[in-house]
Amino acid sequence: MLCEILQVITRESLLVAQREDLRRVMEMLNLSEQHARTLLIYHRWDVEKVFAVFVEKGKDKLFGEAGVTAKSCKIKHAPAAMTCEVCMEDIPKHKATTMDCGHCFCNNCWTEHFVVKINEGKSRRITCMAYKCTAICDEAIVRNLVSARDPDLAERFERFLLESYIEDNQRVKWCPSVPHCGNAIRVEDEKLCEVECTCGVQFCFSCSSEAHSPCSCLMWELWVKKCRDESETVNWITVNTKSCPKCYKSVEKNGGCNLVSCICGQSFCWLCGGATGREHTWTSIAGHSCGRFKEDQEKQAERAKRDLNRYMHYHNRYKAHTDSFKLESKLKETIESQILMLEGKESELKDFSWLTNGLNRLFRSRRVLSYSYPFAFYMFGEDLFGDEMTPVEREMKQNLFEDQQQQLEENVEKLSKALEEKYDGLEDDNLKQSRMQLINLSVITDRLCKSMYECIENDLLGSLKLATHNIAAYKSKGVERASELLVRATKGNNSISCLQTSSSISATGGTVEVGRSSSSSLNFENGCPSRKRSKREAFGNVLFDLNLPAEVIDKS
Amino acid sequence: MQINTDDAILSIHLLVVPHLQASRARLFKEYKEVQREKVADPDIQLVCDDTNIFKWTALIKGPSETPYEGGIFQLAFAVPEQYPLQPPQVRFLTKIFHPNVHFKTGEICLDILKTAWSPAWTLQSVCRAIIALMAHPEADSPLNCDSGNLLRSGDLRGYQSMARMYTKLAAMPKKG
Repeated sequence: MLCEILQVITRESLLVAQREDLRRVMEMLNLSEQHARTLLIYHRWDVEKVFAVFVEKGKDKLFGEAGVTAKSCKIKHAPAAMTCEVCMEDIPKHKATTMDCGHCFCNNCWTEHFVVKINEGKSRRITCMAYKCTAICDEAIVRNLVSARDPDLAERFERFLLESYIEDNQRVKWCPSVPHCGNAIRVEDEKLCEVECTCGVQFCFSCSSEAHSPCSCLMWELWVKKCRDESETVNWITVNTKSCPKCYKSVEKNGGCNLVSCICGQSFCWLCGGATGREHTWTSIAGHSCGRFKEDQEKQAERAKRDLNRYMHYHNRYKAHTDSFKLESKLKETIESQILMLEGKESELKDFSWLTNGLNRLFRSRRVLSYSYPFAFYMFGEDLFGDEMTPVEREMKQNLFEDQQQQLEENVEKLSKALEEKYDGLEDDNLKQSRMQLINLSVITDRLCKSMYECIENDLLGSLKLATHNIAAYKSKGVERASELLVRATKGNNSISCLQTSSSISATGGTVEVGRSSSSSLNFENGCPSRKRSKREAFGNVLFDLNLPAEVIDKS
Repeated sequence: MQINTDDAILSIHLLVVPHLQASRARLFKEYKEVQREKVADPDIQLVCDDTNIFKWTALIKGPSETPYEGGIFQLAFAVPEQYPLQPPQVRFLTKIFHPNVHFKTGEICLDILKTAWSPAWTLQSVCRAIIALMAHPEADSPLNCDSGNLLRSGDLRGYQSMARMYTKLAAMPKKG
């Protein structure tokens, strides 16, 4: 059931995914494909919305808003020649085209119009040239006329139409992988979630950056910016150094009295930064008295120092856990080889999934733990919620959260340690014991993660009055992994898709369609996904699954 | 040497021609049309620049029963290469007090010059649309906020007298 909810749309399946929605609208409203497409683009590929508007407002309104003109019978057999209102030339009938809306212009002007619109990036809604006519131009006509002038542009037009399904669709997002894997992900209902593409990249569906819960999207954005920013470095420099009055290098005091000398040889007073002579006692410098404190400066420096310390605290921990996560990724291979060894041995235990499950649990909770630090940095800092909590409230909440965080941290470390044990050398009894321990630890960490998310949602973010921060819910089985769209639909649609491809080729004039779109349609017509993908898939399933459900552990 | 320049000219022609020729041809048609219609529409006088068919100016009469009555307003047209698929840029050269005209630059806020442009419009019909805009100011999308605010707050008299004053100052021939 879960697979139905999250789906990967690859280059190959894009056409199929789109066609599914198109077909529903075509069948329901008895429309041609291009009209269905126009309707869906207008309503951002929300099929339900199209039907709702149809029921509420009626067919005419639905069509009118979106710019669909049901074919008017072509009675208007104009005289053999007409004047095109755009170029004002007299044009023989066969060099002019009448759109469904009844407006007729010469082919040259239409083509120019299409070229301009496609280049402006408006391929998805090219309207008629007549004043105040909102009708959308017939795809086939656009295709024909443009490909006669500029085949490359015609191909781009085709691609824009296709990709509209991703770009104008709230339920679909491009996978943010770099270099781009070419996939997009479609979710069913819940748009606030974290997903994993078949290429392995995990990302937050609402902001398209890496999966970052329990941070909210805003917090994460700020955090990334802050880490990238040099402002903290600059801060540190202002707090801890003074610049030499001669060479202007930053000088850090490494001990001693207030007479400091720079590597350039210049000595100066640490208190005021002014140049001095070299003679001094412990309390005074010869020929120099900088006198009183300037309180403001002092305060500012103190504040900057405090902020910096705070940031360093959270950043160090965040970094530590991210680094551990990277190191632990290497455990993967060790554990796998151990499992192989164990399976080869004569032993009572046959199933070693508890080891992989434990490892997955470690990865999962390590991530949660590392992202919980930037969360705390913003949750209990002044940047975001300065006005929302009194200092007392803040302290209470911080304690609550930090207790949980600490518990989680402890158990994650235990889990990490447990996984580094050499299992393949253990006797059966010891092995069983270790197994129990690992399973216990896994269950505990999972529970702790869950309760931390709950605490964040109910006690911390939930109580805010002004700001709304949403975070993706905790899923103990890990970030939801998208499944391949569609062997099923491919089969069901095969006949239609064949039809479509052939018609589109004839429409483009046959000579044009060499590039990607035709090859991709061929690909799924055969029903065989590209070799690269099937390989990757095998890799994902056989070797390692980050997302094995915790329930499995619970049961055992 | 001779051959080279010829080649260059030829290639320039090949490169540029599709757009330029289309827009040039169309502007030429409009030019002829304007010559013919001159008598028909006494409120509009469209003139093409002697050396550049993409630059036009127009003199339009302020519509009667508006504060602009009696004034002659000058408009400048800059026609893009992709005309008529893209709209011409039009602005007032004569100072005018009107909610939808920028008081300093003369820029005009009119839907047909932006999103609602259709290639079926001509320079002549754009002039007509501008005259219509002068008679029916759209206070809700003001480029000239002072003027817009007067209208929106219902001070029709204030708006009219300001507009009339500027018409007198800027758009009427000085007497004596």
